[in-house]
Amino acid sequence: MLAFITRRLLLLIFVLFGVSVLLFGILMTFSPERRAATYVTSPQQAKDIPKIIKQFGLDDPFYIQYFRWMKEVLKGNMGWSLVASRPVGEAFWNYFPVTLEMNLFAAPIVIIFGIWLGTLSGIHRDTWIDHTTRILAIVGWSLPTFLFALVLLMIFYGYFQLFSPGVLSDQLTMFIIDNPETFTRFTGMYTIDGILNGRFDITLNALAHLVLPVSTYVIVVVALNMRVMRSGMIEELSKDYVMTAQAKGADKKTIYIKHARRNALLPVVTVAGQLVALSMEGSIAVEVVYNRHGIGWWLAESAVQLDMPVLMCICLFMGVVFVITNLTLDILYAYIDPRIRLN
Amino acid sequence: MKKPVYVMACLLMVFFTAVVGAQVKNPETFVLADYRTVQTIDPATSYDVAGSMRIWNLYETLIFFDGSSTEEYVPLLAAEVPSVKNGGISADGRTYTFKIRNGVKFHEGGELTPEDVVYSFKRNMIVDQDGGPMWMLLEALTGKGSTRDKDGKIIDGIFEIIDKSVETQGNKVILHLPKPYPPLMSILCYTASSVLDKEWAISKGCWDGNIKNAAKYNNPAPGHEPLQKIENGTGPFKMKLWEPAKQFVFERFDDYWGPKSQIKTGIVKYVKEWSTRKLMLQNGDADRVVVDTPYVPEVRAMKGLTLYEVPQLGYTAAMFCRSINPAGNPNIGSGKLDGNGIPPNFFTDINVRKAFLHVFDRETYKKDVFNDLVIMPTSPNVEGLPYHKEVPFYEFDLEKAAEYMKKAWGGKVWEKGFKMIITHNTGNEMREAGAHMLAENIMSLNPKFQIDVRNVEWKDYVVKIRDFQYPLFLSGWGADYADPHNFVYPFMHSNGYYGRFMALKNDEIDKLCDAGIETADPAKRKTIYAKLQDIWYEDAIGVPLYQQIVVRAYRDYVHGFVPNAMFTDDNEILKRIYKK
Repeated sequence: MLAFITRRLLLLIFVLFGVSVLLFGILMTFSPERRAATYVTSPQQAKDIPKIIKQFGLDDPFYIQYFRWMKEVLKGNMGWSLVASRPVGEAFWNYFPVTLEMNLFAAPIVIIFGIWLGTLSGIHRDTWIDHTTRILAIVGWSLPTFLFALVLLMIFYGYFQLFSPGVLSDQLTMFIIDNPETFTRFTGMYTIDGILNGRFDITLNALAHLVLPVSTYVIVVVALNMRVMRSGMIEELSKDYVMTAQAKGADKKTIYIKHARRNALLPVVTVAGQLVALSMEGSIAVEVVYNRHGIGWWLAESAVQLDMPVLMCICLFMGVVFVITNLTLDILYAYIDPRIRLN
Repeated sequence: MKKPVYVMACLLMVFFTAVVGAQVKNPETFVLADYRTVQTIDPATSYDVAGSMRIWNLYETLIFFDGSSTEEYVPLLAAEVPSVKNGGISADGRTYTFKIRNGVKFHEGGELTPEDVVYSFKRNMIVDQDGGPMWMLLEALTGKGSTRDKDGKIIDGIFEIIDKSVETQGNKVILHLPKPYPPLMSILCYTASSVLDKEWAISKGCWDGNIKNAAKYNNPAPGHEPLQKIENGTGPFKMKLWEPAKQFVFERFDDYWGPKSQIKTGIVKYVKEWSTRKLMLQNGDADRVVVDTPYVPEVRAMKGLTLYEVPQLGYTAAMFCRSINPAGNPNIGSGKLDGNGIPPNFFTDINVRKAFLHVFDRETYKKDVFNDLVIMPTSPNVEGLPYHKEVPFYEFDLEKAAEYMKKAWGGKVWEKGFKMIITHNTGNEMREAGAHMLAENIMSLNPKFQIDVRNVEWKDYVVKIRDFQYPLFLSGWGADYADPHNFVYPFMHSNGYYGRFMALKNDEIDKLCDAGIETADPAKRKTIYAKLQDIWYEDAIGVPLYQQIVVRAYRDYVHGFVPNAMFTDDNEILKRIYKK
């Protein structure tokens, strides 16, 4: 097991190198002028584009620019984010907790609801329960996230004045700024930091700010998990061992939960794992509409503004996330299905 | 049975928290929701509207605009506004003397001295970051617009010139100009002329005060300027917190030398999505939000707001490039006048330009695109600038346009037709509408005329304009300072930003532009700028499109806003604001 994990982690180095060369190469297809224009926000500043190219060596050959960047990264300097107006590393640790916090609440709901609804739908195939859950799933999956988020915001915040956007109320934010000695930001996630500091009002307020983002994310994403689970259940329930168990008089609960559902879980684990990994780069629409400045929002802004250091950082981060997710999934497979051996 | 009860209890608490949170409004806090980010709060490098707003509240300049005026000033850190009459400005317009106000404190406790003012001017000019704002002061005080040449090398002796340009004399600060520079007073109101605490700045790693070491502090990379995220000004507000691209929090400075603000805390929140901003304004979670023109009807329909219409010192035009780069350029088709393209010098023929001017329907554009909430300019010297005059404009007249097209290029244009692209930057709906109006009306003259309208992402757009890729492009300019030079030069001089990329070459214009900035005599300047405005019309240099009027939407309990055409809607002078 240890050798397997070590081998996979070593692979990470090659993955990151490949990702960085590929992405750097793609970004190099933009002309030096276009990359220099990243630093320009008005016609007045545009006169300095040639000087900016010289200052940052944007017209140097690809390999020189790549190794210059790599040298800095190895020194721990990921560059400067124009979007975040601060070093990329610092900005990352500021935005990541916002995305992670939402995922910590959304991911378990997506997985548990997906499995539960999929199981229910698969067991009650072609009944009204199946039809209803399938229709709801299709509607949820088909909804444009941006539009759905806006509708929820208009109803709950606009009409009922509930669940304001952002991550915390202004009053509590001011309290935290004014009292740095009494409130420590251990994780950057207010729901958790509130508990760790014994300030449950902050936790509750942060939770209130999470209701709409998490609901939006769950409703849109749960459908995929549910569909995979349903298919798995239907397939498993049609197998001979289920018929044998029924013939031997096993009770339905044991057949469905202990046997069929466990076997149907394997593809669900794969999908859920990928969904969780993907969610680490944030949901752009959710973060923009609910004014939560996380990785998704940062990535979207950086892509539009061609903020190269940020794009490189997030892509490398996602490379790490996917390698670790796949490693975790492989270990989970072995646990769920004893026939699978890691080596 | 217990579990559902716990779940219900938790949900109710979350619900209750949300309700309570939405009802509490703090009368001493002002919240502005904007969507522009701040790169830096260093006065020497900040050159965007969001950064200016922060700096104007944190730091102070010697003088500032008097209320709504862009030509009258009030003293801030200066004890009085210098003039020729009070001896503050020399008769030849080359020496400005400022008495410095006593009893002014910096946020960290230091007291303002004339030395601080001199240091600040020199330090800011020494920094002179690429793409930064220091060209304005450098042009005025050294006669050169940069500390570096075109290749980025430091100009010999430039730091010595800077060193001699500002000096103290007792309680006074004296600025020495190589030649008269009429916009100087307006430039002195800009954030780049903010005053720092010398000792504090040096302790934070800024220029050490020795001119021989100046080169080390020149042109820092973005983010590497020592004052990028810290401040110590004399302004009415201190920075309490800055979470870049999230929020900026101001706190009232209780030792401020002037009247104290009634607002204790000012918060600028970064809210990208318009619907979110609008709902925040509606619920009172924001006291003001930035409203783009397309959304003005929505705020007009909302209750409980006070709206202000503020004309801006800005100018947008459609500009003809007279020497288009033909190399691999799809925007001019075949590159010939064969019905499938246009030649690179297509717009050198004034008949073509006049035809385009005659197809622009100003009235319809004003009404349909702006709901009449716009000023239709006639030249770059827009309303609100000194020496502005209404010059004639080309009336919307398709018959006249057709006549000019028939004359253009000896009749070849009408006979063969042409194909070209009009471009505007992505997301600007006003420019998009203008581009379509020009294209459709020109195409209506002759079925052989084919024009496509294309939108290009702003940064790509800038690069392509600089590469002379666009035959007809729509773009604009916002004021750096309130003087015709800041508008006429960029749009008309052969070395001006747009003049250059329109490939304008007109010796008379260049001479007039140069004379306008070198003359201090208002009467002479009036004649010069009047002539330049006439030439804009006579030479049909471009199609004047619009001078924007922005709508500011405040909650109706917010008072104290004073409109000024120099300030965009990102700006807010917090010390004037109060809630009642």
